Amino acid sequence: MKTYKLNIIFFVYFVSLTSVPFSWAGLNIITTTQDLASIAEELGGSLVKVNSLIKGNQDPHYIQPKPSYMVKMNRADLLIYQGLELEIGWLPVLIEGSRNPEIRLGQRGHLDASENISRLEVTVGDVNRSMGDIHPFGNPHYNLDPENGFIIAKSIFDKLVELDPENKLKYESNLSQFNQKLKAKINQWEKQMEPFRGTKIITYHKVWIYFAQKFGLVIPSTIEVKPGVPPTTKHLAYLTGLMKREKIKMIIQSNYYESKFAHMIADKTGATVQTLPAFVGGVPEAQDYFSLFDKINEVFIHNLKSGS
Amino acid sequence: MKVFTILLLIFFCGSSNVWSSSKYEKLEERIRVLEKRKTDSKPNISSTATGLSNRFNPALSVNGLFLGTYNDEGNYDSSKEVRTGVKIQELEIRMAAYVDTFLRADITLAFEGTSNFEVEEAIAEALLSKNLSFRAGKFLTPFGKHNQLHTHAYPFIDLPVVSEEILGEEGLNEIGVGASYFLPTNWFSEITFQVLEGANTNQFNGPAGSDFAYLIRQNNLWDLNEETTMELGASYVTGKNSLSPPSSFDNKTQLLGADLTFKWKPTGREAYKTWIWQTEFIGSFREQTQEGWYTSLQHQFAKTWWVQGRYSGYTIPNGINKEDKNQWSALLAWVPSEFSAVRLQYNHLNQATADENQVLLQLNFTLGSHPAHKY
Repeated sequence: MKTYKLNIIFFVYFVSLTSVPFSWAGLNIITTTQDLASIAEELGGSLVKVNSLIKGNQDPHYIQPKPSYMVKMNRADLLIYQGLELEIGWLPVLIEGSRNPEIRLGQRGHLDASENISRLEVTVGDVNRSMGDIHPFGNPHYNLDPENGFIIAKSIFDKLVELDPENKLKYESNLSQFNQKLKAKINQWEKQMEPFRGTKIITYHKVWIYFAQKFGLVIPSTIEVKPGVPPTTKHLAYLTGLMKREKIKMIIQSNYYESKFAHMIADKTGATVQTLPAFVGGVPEAQDYFSLFDKINEVFIHNLKSGS
Repeated sequence: MKVFTILLLIFFCGSSNVWSSSKYEKLEERIRVLEKRKTDSKPNISSTATGLSNRFNPALSVNGLFLGTYNDEGNYDSSKEVRTGVKIQELEIRMAAYVDTFLRADITLAFEGTSNFEVEEAIAEALLSKNLSFRAGKFLTPFGKHNQLHTHAYPFIDLPVVSEEILGEEGLNEIGVGASYFLPTNWFSEITFQVLEGANTNQFNGPAGSDFAYLIRQNNLWDLNEETTMELGASYVTGKNSLSPPSSFDNKTQLLGADLTFKWKPTGREAYKTWIWQTEFIGSFREQTQEGWYTSLQHQFAKTWWVQGRYSGYTIPNGINKEDKNQWSALLAWVPSEFSAVRLQYNHLNQATADENQVLLQLNFTLGSHPAHKY
């Protein structure tokens, strides 16, 4: 009887010892943007726990490196960020401050999602800050070309397999499901946007160049004089002239920018101003990578139809 | 190459009705361009032979602070820090890089005026294990919030009077070693312990070289909601001083600090609005007591504009040096980018000698690759 009890005690002790460290067997992933979180969730499914640091309606250039982000990163197995200096103002402080050796540069728990992206607006030759807030390694808003979804997914997939090789088959099937769904969606979006190829639009910041390239829109100028620099009255007058001359009927901007300049020009030119989500989570309807484009395209189609 | 040309030829012959000769020429031209690019991009690696390379140079930046001052009192007193005139408040030259896979180094050299040179910080830092970081060198110690800032990052142009009186112009800036541990709590919580040279002439500088000072700081940060954070910290330093003549007593100084900071930024309008409310208490306890506090409110009301106010009080409540003074400050800043600012500050100083009214105008710029600032 006694040995029986003892056995039970030992058994319970043994089980508790082994089970505590494995209470969450999956990977704990932290991403900067919600787009990356959405794709990581699609690929990881129930095998991972994903949290993004920032919300899709926040301006990723102006995030403060809050120590509360460090707490999340401290416990992460994998950090995924958008890169191309999008998060340069705050991510380095967080990586350093999180004191998690696994997610530092060069470690296995560190993934720059821009690694395999074919980048636009890479500066050639010298750069300096009189050019404004430029990103010399390329424009970081590549998430807005849905084709890049395949590339981001592949990078994340490779990383998941590297960190958790046992579940490779599961990740593979998730990846192929994601790719199929994205392929079908892109076909649909292409058809929807086809009539508007060549349409000219004005944007606030150079957020939309990947999107424009994918769907054949033309962006002759931006409201900002230079990246990060608000317009002067002279520039606004130039834009008004340009829009009248070229019959540009639509101004778009991400929802984290103030829209007063856009409305000033719109009043003079009769154009419409549309604020759009630039990231997943930018508006409540854009809850994942697919519905982000559903939402954006819906706005485009609605406006361009009524404009023409 | 040959194969490619042959393929092109086949293409050309096979469909000569579609492929005009101009198209063929265009393709040839493209091949020429691509071939040229290939030879152009041949790397020029000479460092194996010269041993000289710029590749691993540290990130280099310079902060320049130009200051114009007006003071309605004591302009003939050359010992005064704040006199009517213009000066280079500080030039900070910063170099930061990873030393190897283990260490990161961060060095700040400062020129005050045009000739006063100082090693402001020289830090080597390593992450020893998960949660535990180590540093050695000369650094602005984490005694409270304000003491950790370089001059260019001060929220106002000058120090609050309490910091200047108790810790001095340079702050509690010491040579030492220390460790900092990230506590496994659900909120941000950190504990720091440092052994310092104890060279601060206002508070320490004990008679023996071995008179070290010991610092401990504990700070916490909570997200009150998505837009607001609250940080609460406490600091304590103890060490020997040589401020009164050596005696059988230990001339011991104890510094106590407490700080409370609230920050707010609206989600989705990060670039346009901010509120920061920061309050710090500092006390020094030795054969005499010095104590004081400041509270400051900073408000960003447009993309490039800030308005700020600060009150700071300081007192030696008893003894022969009994003193009481306070300072009111207001500041307006135009910040066209994160790399430059023009700031105008007004100070009113209430003190035993004649009250002072000061107007300060500062141009503040950052050149080069400067590490991101902490929260």
